[in-house]
Amino acid sequence: MTGYYLHIPFCEKKCSYCDFYSIESLDLVEAFVNTLIDEIHLRSGDIKPDTIFFGGGTPSLLSPAQLERIFREIPFFSHALEVTLECNPGTVSLDKLIAYRSLGVNRLSFGVQSFVEDELTFLTRIHTADEALQAMELARSAGFTNVNIDLMFALPNQTIDTLQYSISRALALEPDHISAYSLIYEPGTPLYKQLMRGEVSKQNEEVDAGMYAYVIERLIDAGYRQYEVSNFAKAGKQCQHNLVYWHGNDYLAVGPSAHGLVNQTRYWNHRSLATWTQKVRDRQLPHANEELLSRNERLIELMFLTLRADGIPANKISREFNLDIREILQPDLSYWISAGMIVDANGVLRLTSNGYAVCDEITVKMLSKLPTPL
Amino acid sequence: MTNYRNFCIIAHIDHGKSTLADRLLERTGRVSAREMIYNQILDDNPLEQERGITIKLHAIQMDYTGVDGKAYKLNLIDTPGHVDFSYEVSRSLHACEGALLVVDATQGVEAQTISNLFMALDQGLEVIPVINKIDLPSAATTVDNVKQQVMDLIGCKEDEMILASAKAGIGIDDILEAVVKRIPPPSGNPDAPLRALIYDSVFDPYRGVIVNVRVFDGTMREKDKIRFMNLGQTYELDEVGVLFMQRQRTGILEAGNVGYFTAAIRRLQDTKVGDTVTLVNNPCEKPIEGFREVKPMVFSGIYPADSDDFENLREALGKLTLNDAAISYEPETSSALGFGFRCGFLGLLHMEIVQERLEREFNQTIVNTVPNVRYRVISNKNEEVWVDNPSQLPNPTLINEIQEPFIRAQIITPTEFVGTIMKLCMDRRGTMLGQSYLSADRVDLTFELPLAEVVFDFYDKLKSNTRGYASLDYEYADYKAGDLVRMDILLNGEPVDALSSIVHRQKAHDWGKKLCSKLKELIPRQMFEVAIQAAIGAKIIARESIAAMRKNVIAKCYGGDISRKRKLLEKQKEGKKRMKQVGKVEIPQEAFLAVLSLDK
Repeated sequence: MTGYYLHIPFCEKKCSYCDFYSIESLDLVEAFVNTLIDEIHLRSGDIKPDTIFFGGGTPSLLSPAQLERIFREIPFFSHALEVTLECNPGTVSLDKLIAYRSLGVNRLSFGVQSFVEDELTFLTRIHTADEALQAMELARSAGFTNVNIDLMFALPNQTIDTLQYSISRALALEPDHISAYSLIYEPGTPLYKQLMRGEVSKQNEEVDAGMYAYVIERLIDAGYRQYEVSNFAKAGKQCQHNLVYWHGNDYLAVGPSAHGLVNQTRYWNHRSLATWTQKVRDRQLPHANEELLSRNERLIELMFLTLRADGIPANKISREFNLDIREILQPDLSYWISAGMIVDANGVLRLTSNGYAVCDEITVKMLSKLPTPL
Repeated sequence: MTNYRNFCIIAHIDHGKSTLADRLLERTGRVSAREMIYNQILDDNPLEQERGITIKLHAIQMDYTGVDGKAYKLNLIDTPGHVDFSYEVSRSLHACEGALLVVDATQGVEAQTISNLFMALDQGLEVIPVINKIDLPSAATTVDNVKQQVMDLIGCKEDEMILASAKAGIGIDDILEAVVKRIPPPSGNPDAPLRALIYDSVFDPYRGVIVNVRVFDGTMREKDKIRFMNLGQTYELDEVGVLFMQRQRTGILEAGNVGYFTAAIRRLQDTKVGDTVTLVNNPCEKPIEGFREVKPMVFSGIYPADSDDFENLREALGKLTLNDAAISYEPETSSALGFGFRCGFLGLLHMEIVQERLEREFNQTIVNTVPNVRYRVISNKNEEVWVDNPSQLPNPTLINEIQEPFIRAQIITPTEFVGTIMKLCMDRRGTMLGQSYLSADRVDLTFELPLAEVVFDFYDKLKSNTRGYASLDYEYADYKAGDLVRMDILLNGEPVDALSSIVHRQKAHDWGKKLCSKLKELIPRQMFEVAIQAAIGAKIIARESIAAMRKNVIAKCYGGDISRKRKLLEKQKEGKKRMKQVGKVEIPQEAFLAVLSLDK
């Protein structure tokens, strides 16, 4: 599987917690689309994407016409199995969604975050809880059968009651996929500044852990399967594009600040729209930097990414790195298994619901046991 | 020989010894004013300069023409400025006929000055009191009092004291004149059998050990066959000379003079400070008195932070002992820390210096365990066993008695702090032996204290409780039996050998409680609950627990996060590797020194 990521760096209004690159100058969208198409041409190689993902920013700010122009230029577009568009519930209409679907979009991802108005206000979202509900209904009306809802927990002032409420409202909409994130205070965001100034306070570890455990239990009860730290899907509805990242497969990326992985090299584009535009106009790859991954780094990435997701493929590691990972991780592995944090099944070392909560701790311990250099 | 003067400077830290030495060198033309830009020439080791103390000894010969028109050669022999090195002080004093006693006009006499002064008086040195820093404005109100203290102390007359300011260059000529007039020239017979005192030695990678000596009798010439009388080895002299700013080869060193020699001596341990050098063919009858083997008093485990670095650490310790013969080290194994070394030091300062040198000069990242003293254990069968690692203490049922080393501490303080100091010393199981008033407002207290109670933070406590006014000096006294027990620390039931300590039974409970709560702070949450227990034998005397980690995972990791996340994990992985593991519990390295910061 290979992926194709397109970053659409525009928002009507930036949310206070978000550290993705985006700007609020919507008058630049049309020019941006032209440049994006230029970058697609610059990269037209032999990649044949299985998944396409429009992230942002707010990709649903693109008009169907703009989206169509972009689709026309993506090589082997019709080959793609999954085409996802991230949407802000406040920026969609039935017509627009029908148009998107007719162009080839087959998966939508709504940034809903919460169904509690106070929490949406705190997060500086531009939509209301009702608009989120409507957006979901419109998506179904437009014929989408693969829709995600993003939710957040461990918000300041959030209680287990308000979390229960939001999850109930979300489940009532029967989304095919739910991403539930514990709030991250990213340096550089307005929210982070609020935290530093003492205007908001983080939920403590106990509350965060309690909410996380609740989310997992509730979603599994409702028939979702956890296949990554924050991601849950109905059968067959895992996000294939995200699995490309987590399985260490190649993905092309275009647009300001986008990160790609091709031929064991990670690259990332310039973050600023102006610099990125200039580079592309000069017919240069707009890379801010790139790094060729060493064998060691590839192993580390494969380990931590697969552990976060649907499990470390022991056989693949044995094949590609000539390492018996089970043996290297002893005696800790036996402990993790006996403590109910990891299961070893079907050739894969997979976190349990309990294990996901301490994923980073287990990861660091695992990595510290890898032989260096390989 | 009549034109030689051998002398040293006795002073408390910061009372101006190094500045005065610099000034004397400058006045006698040994260094130019330009070179003086780098003040305090004798303290040439960066560690010495930072800490404002002298660790290694130096000596320097100056040419001086007296008021009488005669040319003199003045040998200034430096002395180390810390109680850990008091044996070296006694040997360098022995190499002199006189001493300048430098006292800060605003501070007065301090404990260490007094003990060194008495050492000098015992050895019959002519003492010239110098009241320094008289140019400071605050000296106007204090100088009379300080003068009185000095007069009371050594019984000198007021006009025998020299008022000086090394910094401002006041009184320097008077000091030089006093050195030639009042300090007697060395006596000794250049034709008698060679008798020379080793007062210091340094290692040079190209020439081997360079030995600094004071010749009392006889003459030392290149190619002579010499013998170290206490150690017994013989060597042939390669190079003989005197000490200017650099070594100056003269080929010969006669009675009364101070200088150096080399003799293809490969290890610093093969020369001992205090030993006597004589000729193989024409030996003197008796060695110079006062030689003793310096024994380590404080012990600590030194382990590589990364267990793969054990061999590097061994090599570094080997190199370090080339120019520090006082440190001892033996390989040892700890279940918590792996392979490392049990090292012995002269005292706490010496220990800190060694640790710093290992890190700075030899690039070693080390974990050191809490320092302890060496215990003498008398078994049931009346056998004597020396224990310098608490975890090695034999089973209590086999022990008849545990003895610990005591010190005799001298503390000089303004009278207002006497109560505070008494309390501190009593808390540390001390006994007061005496007190005497140096003046109406300064008192000299003598205590006997267990060394183990002093090695932690006694000095810091003394300083902070007296706003820095009290000064401390001590000498080692006897071993005495005490009601001592070994306290172990257990993490989830497994003992952590590197955290075992030997404590007084009555203090064990309090100590155990504090240590457990400190460890609770220092040991991070693990994936399971961790029980911390302090135990004497099978009896648990204190406990704490660290709750299990509930959550540690970052919520998002998408295409743009991977590189950053990998770098973060790689860094955390290195931190994880440095953790020491006992059972399943991971212990950060700071925890092994937890005891040192119990009260902070």
